[in-house]
Amino acid sequence: MPGHLLERQISLLEYLTSAGAIFGGAPPARHLQGLDPALLRLEACFSHEKRMEKIVGSFARTFEIMGGEDRADIVRDFVEACPSVDIRRIENARQFYDFACARWQKNPPQPPYLRDVATCELAMADLRTKGKGQPSQPAAAGRGVRFRRSRDAVFLPCAYDIRPIFEGSVSEAIERRDLMLAILIPPRSNEPAIFEVPAPVYAFLVELDTWTGGAALGGVPELDALISELAEHGLIEVS
Amino acid sequence: MIACKPAPAVGIGYRSAIGDWTRANLAHFDVLEITVDHCISSGETIASGIFDLVGRIPMTAHGIGLSIGTDVPLDLAYLDKVAAIVDRLRAPGYSEHLAFTRAPGRDLANLLPLPKTEEVAEAIIAKVRIVQSRVPVPFLLENISYLFEWPDSDLTDAEFLNFICRETGAGLLLDVENLYLNAHNHGFDPHGFLSDLPAGIVKEVHVAGGITVQKDFLARPFLADSHSHPVPDGALDLLDHVLTRHAPETVVLERDDRLQEFDEILDDVRRIRSRIAAVQSESLHARAFVGAAD
Repeated sequence: MPGHLLERQISLLEYLTSAGAIFGGAPPARHLQGLDPALLRLEACFSHEKRMEKIVGSFARTFEIMGGEDRADIVRDFVEACPSVDIRRIENARQFYDFACARWQKNPPQPPYLRDVATCELAMADLRTKGKGQPSQPAAAGRGVRFRRSRDAVFLPCAYDIRPIFEGSVSEAIERRDLMLAILIPPRSNEPAIFEVPAPVYAFLVELDTWTGGAALGGVPELDALISELAEHGLIEVS
Repeated sequence: MIACKPAPAVGIGYRSAIGDWTRANLAHFDVLEITVDHCISSGETIASGIFDLVGRIPMTAHGIGLSIGTDVPLDLAYLDKVAAIVDRLRAPGYSEHLAFTRAPGRDLANLLPLPKTEEVAEAIIAKVRIVQSRVPVPFLLENISYLFEWPDSDLTDAEFLNFICRETGAGLLLDVENLYLNAHNHGFDPHGFLSDLPAGIVKEVHVAGGITVQKDFLARPFLADSHSHPVPDGALDLLDHVLTRHAPETVVLERDDRLQEFDEILDDVRRIRSRIAAVQSESLHARAFVGAAD
């Protein structure tokens, strides 16, 4: 190809992914002379809309909770700071999440639980990408049975109990409370679910990093019930 | 005996968002077009939903991630993944867009046109040969819809495509909606484009429906390839023209938005079948007439 074609392609993509092209106001670079600026802007708008569909689709509740003005500001600043570098939905979602977290580090979001909501939504998007929940497993802590913490469960320490937002109660007051949430696709389901994991149970799950037999845990009588419940929710794998 | 071209298989592009509906309605389709990139990078659930269809309905393989026009060497690891998926799908061919979507450091995820020059065509020819050596099924190039043109383009759309296809033996996946939009947006005669294609080069056809876009910074409305609405009659008229000179093996309806409008999708499939039947019937009558005159 012509030696300068790559330079022109890079210039074009830098321009089409820039805030100046997407929101208007910046003329194309010298390499792009002869291209119609209005049509380049249309191309930039289409690509931006497609990208934002991927991002808003992954952070539906985060964007719903954000005020309209905040939403416009964060999108514009995001476009300026983070041009599109990957076609994949989850990669664009991660890129937006990292940008939003850095921004919220400097200027805490309003409402303050927004970061927890975004964190949960990213984990859910990631789980949807990775795949379906495991089949339900009969579980008991009896002889020969081994178990370990599910590799597909994501544990998120949160500062707010944001579960009502994911249960459709956006208007419900969100309680300020440190808690551990687990997000996973439960057995026999295709959609991620959120559970609260009490501190002692979380401590127990942390211990189950590798395959462990019931005997190694000291043969506690209540273990059977706990193991069954954790397996039922998909929080542990049983072999 | 009057020979008649076999009717092309009619189907849709598989979209996981309506995967359950598609599986429940396979009887409406002869073929599904699978986007290989959905098998590569959309996760295990989507990929397994696609591979579960092997053996239930014929599938063709289509790509959106090659970016054959980017002026850097092809991603051979990507091509090897494509080859494995094509094999697993038992797809009879693999198609990609004559376009570029990315450059080092940027991925627009949108198809962009190339300068239509012999020099660029030569570079594409070399890359098509690499694709053909790596993915052992017939390779097809698809014409894209484009909003802007490079000022140094000195070949027509048809000349550019013909040159590459002639030199490589690649077939053409003709997107009649893209042709319809380009002709409208850039003011050329789509029938002239079709007449410039050598007979038989079109191996597959895409149809879709888009929208009209009006922005304050545009001097006039533009048609956009949104894959969101019923196929316009104008695009189906072009399909008629294609069917008289070519024998495509498949005609695939692409739909990416307003996917829950199932009636529209099925109605479009019916309209496509009806157009095919009408052209075939006309062709049969013409041959019968010629036969009788003989």
